[in-house]
Amino acid sequence: MDKKAAQISPLAALKPDLYQRAWASVPHPTLPLLATTHANQVTVFSLATLSKHSVLAGGHTRSVRAVAWQPAQPANRLRLVTGSFDASAGLWTWDDDSTAAAGLEREVTLTGSGGDGNTDEDDDKDWEFNLVLEGHEHEVKGVAFNPSGQYLATCSRDKTVWIWEDVGGAGGDGDDDEWETVAVLSEHDGDVKAVAWCPDVPGRKGRYSADVLASASYDNTVRIWREDVDGEWVCVAVLEGHEGTVWGLQWEPTTTTGNRFPRLMTWSADATMRVWTLREEKEEEEDQGEDVSGGESRLFRSGLGGIPNTMRRSMREEWECTAVLPRVHTRAVYSATWSADTGLVASAGSDGLLVVYAEEAPQPAAATGIENTAAAAEKNGEAEEEEKKGGAWRVLGKVENAHGPYEVNHTTWCKRFDAGAERKGEEEMLVTTGDDGVIRPWQVRIS
Amino acid sequence: MPKADLDNENPTILNVSQLPSRRQKTRSARNGPDSKYDHLLFPKQSWPWAPSKTTSSWPSDDDEDEAMEDAYNDEYTEEPIDEQEIYDLISTISDPEHPHTLGQLSVVRLPDIYVTPSPTERLDPQSLRTVLVELTPTINHCSLATVIGLAVRARLEQALPPNYRVDVRMKDGSHAQDDQVNKQLADKERVAAALENDTLRGMLDKMLETCA
Repeated sequence: MDKKAAQISPLAALKPDLYQRAWASVPHPTLPLLATTHANQVTVFSLATLSKHSVLAGGHTRSVRAVAWQPAQPANRLRLVTGSFDASAGLWTWDDDSTAAAGLEREVTLTGSGGDGNTDEDDDKDWEFNLVLEGHEHEVKGVAFNPSGQYLATCSRDKTVWIWEDVGGAGGDGDDDEWETVAVLSEHDGDVKAVAWCPDVPGRKGRYSADVLASASYDNTVRIWREDVDGEWVCVAVLEGHEGTVWGLQWEPTTTTGNRFPRLMTWSADATMRVWTLREEKEEEEDQGEDVSGGESRLFRSGLGGIPNTMRRSMREEWECTAVLPRVHTRAVYSATWSADTGLVASAGSDGLLVVYAEEAPQPAAATGIENTAAAAEKNGEAEEEEKKGGAWRVLGKVENAHGPYEVNHTTWCKRFDAGAERKGEEEMLVTTGDDGVIRPWQVRIS
Repeated sequence: MPKADLDNENPTILNVSQLPSRRQKTRSARNGPDSKYDHLLFPKQSWPWAPSKTTSSWPSDDDEDEAMEDAYNDEYTEEPIDEQEIYDLISTISDPEHPHTLGQLSVVRLPDIYVTPSPTERLDPQSLRTVLVELTPTINHCSLATVIGLAVRARLEQALPPNYRVDVRMKDGSHAQDDQVNKQLADKERVAAALENDTLRGMLDKMLETCA
């Protein structure tokens, strides 16, 4: 077992400081842009210049809590969705017709370094507030697009998750925006804090519909949702284990082990982080693609103890907690991020710590992890079980007081595009967002 | 513990002179709370709405900032904030129903305030300290327990340096919906949203009028 360690060193903070609580900073999926929510607006930073690119203001009457970039947009267009305490979600578009030929990427990379004061007014004009998605009764706390950008999920203190479908002409103008409510999911017993769609990785497909949604709640649970054969969105699993509000969740961004279904990482006010794995019958995996009905009936037998297969198949899924990450945090974990490139995980929270973890060895197959934990659970009390579960992950490094004495609300891996990067667009850094209004990048070196 | 012990339906109202205070400081605390807390309030007052520049740029790339920060931090290391000081900050909050302060109604009691690590322990000024305040609402089914808790949390978050983490809870068994109220008060997002609610904000402002 090699004892790797992470050196986490602060880079210069993005300019300007926001001087007020900032909630979250979300990187664009491909462009060097980072959207930060604070007060009732969003500031977009250029990751090339590490300074302000534009501001989305005037759309919401209360704090903007969450933001998401709509994927799969034409080259000259940016699209953001904001979720606000004013109970609405907003849809924003930046169309850059003048430089359409040149492409937005060049625009974004080359400009943005202009004087902060002057560009303000221009920038405000460029973001257009297209549409308000209304329906939630209380604060919207999370927003997320599915991988194709067709579906948007929003979640709220009103205990519901809404799924919206983009039915406007894809690639059309912002004018013919049309979104339809596809589903209102109201099974949580408390605020829904965050939603996340399963990424489009090998292993995602194969059972039921392609799109899978997960939601994290104040009721301490996580729920998994899928579309059934009738087009209804149903809850297929309730993940219980956290002993406090589940603040957030992220799907495994890449599966290094072929067809395994992505795992899910969750973090909570109970100061822990957990990894959950879908129980996939071994035989079923082998059967996949050959004899679908055979696989189904086997699954059916194991899940429901021999109820005849004439009934519509059960969509119930078995998810189990296969890891509890080492306990480093002493207070609520508000945010964590799982790198698609390196598999490293970072977390941050109320205690001001920024922690980086690595998984000891990639799990060869989901089944191994399950057997281990099941055996441990049978053998002894919870303590031993937890120990075993935590064994797979190791702390590589941590920073205390990452934002001085302030709480850290968010952390994310993102690509470096700035002058200091050795490999622009490839090299990864961490970005943390704090109550102090500072957005700070961190260099992470593994040695 | 029998519920009756904790119910305050006909609240005993303590005279201001009966309230716990630091003897030598009583006078200045009562007469000039504004000036007494200037050093605490000023750099912080805007938080969480707008933290001060002095402490926001850590780790600082700017020497001047650091010098200011050090000077600022020195003030705290000289005179750590103890339970009595926390008490002084919140006991003067008005009850939303009764025409008295939370101190007079014994909703806030000095023995129910805990600072960890203890204020006598010297720490790096960046290190976290936790302030736990246990409240005893005046009525068992007090629908206003959450509002009182919110006022206490808001007051302390405004007044204390940013390395203080504030936990506000209902004293065990004093309130029928303890767990719910406690969970709400511990939820940063809910607290932030509540402070943006105009009705609630108006109520809180009124309660806090009496304390600075």
